[in-house]
Amino acid sequence: MPGRTTVQASRNLATTAILASALLAAPAALAVPSFARQTGMACEACHTVFPELTHFGRVFKANGYVLSNLKKVRDVSGKKEQLLDLSQMPPLSVMAQISYTTMKSGVPDLANAGAPGVAQSGTVGFPQQFSLFYAGEVAPHFGAMVQLTYDSAAGTIGIDNTDLRFAEEMLLPDNGTLTYGLSLNNNPTVQDLWNSTPAWGFPYTASNAAVTPLAATAINGPYAQDVAGLTGYLYWNESLYAEVGGYRSAQQGVTNQLTGGAGPLDGTASNVLSGVNPYWRLAYEHNWDRHTLEAGVYGLDFKVLPGGAPGAAVPLQGPTNRFNDVAEDVQYQFIGEEHLFSILGTHIHESMTLDASFASAASANPSDTLTTTEVAATYYYHRRIGGTVQYFSTTGSTDTALYPATAPGAPGVITSANGSPDSRGWIGELNYLPWLNVKVTLQYTWYSKFNGAGSNYDGMGRSASDNNTLYVVLWFAY
Amino acid sequence: MRITKRSRHAPSRAVRWPRTSVLLAGAAVLLSVGSGSRAAEPDAAATAHAQRIAVTVCGICHGPTGNSTQPKFPRLAGQSATYLVSQLKAFRAQTRGDPDAIAYMWGMASQLDDATIEALAAYYAAQQPPPAGRGADALVARGREIYGQGVPAQGVPACSTCHGADARGQADFPRLAGQHAQYVLKQLASFQSSMRDIAVMHGVAQNLHLDDMQAVAAYLQAQP
Repeated sequence: MPGRTTVQASRNLATTAILASALLAAPAALAVPSFARQTGMACEACHTVFPELTHFGRVFKANGYVLSNLKKVRDVSGKKEQLLDLSQMPPLSVMAQISYTTMKSGVPDLANAGAPGVAQSGTVGFPQQFSLFYAGEVAPHFGAMVQLTYDSAAGTIGIDNTDLRFAEEMLLPDNGTLTYGLSLNNNPTVQDLWNSTPAWGFPYTASNAAVTPLAATAINGPYAQDVAGLTGYLYWNESLYAEVGGYRSAQQGVTNQLTGGAGPLDGTASNVLSGVNPYWRLAYEHNWDRHTLEAGVYGLDFKVLPGGAPGAAVPLQGPTNRFNDVAEDVQYQFIGEEHLFSILGTHIHESMTLDASFASAASANPSDTLTTTEVAATYYYHRRIGGTVQYFSTTGSTDTALYPATAPGAPGVITSANGSPDSRGWIGELNYLPWLNVKVTLQYTWYSKFNGAGSNYDGMGRSASDNNTLYVVLWFAY
Repeated sequence: MRITKRSRHAPSRAVRWPRTSVLLAGAAVLLSVGSGSRAAEPDAAATAHAQRIAVTVCGICHGPTGNSTQPKFPRLAGQSATYLVSQLKAFRAQTRGDPDAIAYMWGMASQLDDATIEALAAYYAAQQPPPAGRGADALVARGREIYGQGVPAQGVPACSTCHGADARGQADFPRLAGQHAQYVLKQLASFQSSMRDIAVMHGVAQNLHLDDMQAVAAYLQAQP
């Protein structure tokens, strides 16, 4: 989601919780036909319906995206060491999303201040998003999934989800296997193997032209593409998965005010991670007959320096805000010939220790909590037509500074009159795939509570349901 | 995106089911074409290489020893090496055209050389076949009848004639005992529609009713 730094800077937000609302508007998306070209296998080998992975897809990812059935250009040394093992076809793909979005009630038109005007109803994204992928093997044991995205909200091209992997698989006695590997990535959980964690979780695509709730946990998107993480993992017998690693800031589009270079980060940057911050994951998957069941835990512990913005610098020192996320997830899949069914669920609990924000009155409490629950059920018939229903809920501490009320003269909508982050609702989605790499989606989001209330949540008379969103998207990749 | 089947030649259309002896002669000729004679025993390096591929790549779907747990993917443990060689070569040549062969195996087999194919076949042939599975008693009983005696009224010959009384196969005729019922059912349907274009099996399957297929499949899954 390139260009969001503008949003960050202009709002000079003190915590990531609020920042999240701007970032979550358009989750990144994935469908990478270059993997199919490389393996020679149809989409269904790795996906139920993209981007949800099958067991084979998870193993392919854990092993570094390197399984290849293409002809190679090779080089070897006199000692038979492999010096080069290059596919004759580069693993490139393109992806496009063309969308239409309309909210139940329009939002005030800021250009029409002082008069009761609303912004135009209905937004066409043409494209909403266009991506170029390098996705596939780079060298033996080394593969990459790199996404470069044009985002219509920013009007620029920028780096999107990226996962570089090194992996090696050992044979164990009794024909067991142990895969060990490293992932260098830019979004916590983008390297994960299941769709019950945030980066590849439902909804797989959402409008970038709708209003979304203020609060989100740190692991649920706010730091996507603004951090770099190195994690190491073990995957035993394609069932037990353990991963640990660390993230630090790697912000895009931010410059050092003194040198004009890409760094080092200074006090005009906001939400800067202090040093290296831990990420962890443990999961177990059991496969039997046509069923797959996974249960796991994951989390991170980020220490964040609020920083400032260009023209309003705040030194990157002193107290930090700490976001400690502990989450559980579960995924069930039934993959039959005609019927495919899956359930994805996660529960994320965040403890915030807001030493920095509380000291600067950017939060009303020294510590807050935030809890997100999401459960989605998906059904497909012959991988051609299907749908998903998701329940989502976020609850947390009331904090009138963190989730601020509407300022005098401001239009509301993205504020909370009572300082509560609570939002909940449902997403219903229908999908039709004329071909396995082309998806047409009709999605509707219902809010029963938005930024703390069901009605008049912003103190300006707006109801949660006014933000209900109809979103139609044509999504294809080649 | 699913690749449409290549129409290499018109599928055979056996109008009337011939006598079993004619069938067997035809089967032997057809199934021997392409499989050729077995190559020499794979050497130690090829065997180790094949084991690694079998466990780390094929094993993701077929199970590390060829005893897959998912019925979409056939069990390969104890399968006839001759049959496995002929199938891997058919995948490589893109001449086996049932849907899962196209979606999965055309790609997976595309770069296999003959030596690796031989070694993979030897690896699976040497694995312990699966224990007998389960099936509904009535269905299994009906399946046993069809397997051993065919369905004379519909001109369907006994499966045991080629696949053996114990369904453990012989040379070109695959082992069927212990195979996933779902897999057997899909193959019979593919033979019937000629997507998997084997004239002999098309002849066998063309008059088989769905409930008969289900019975045979259940019976086979329940065999050790």
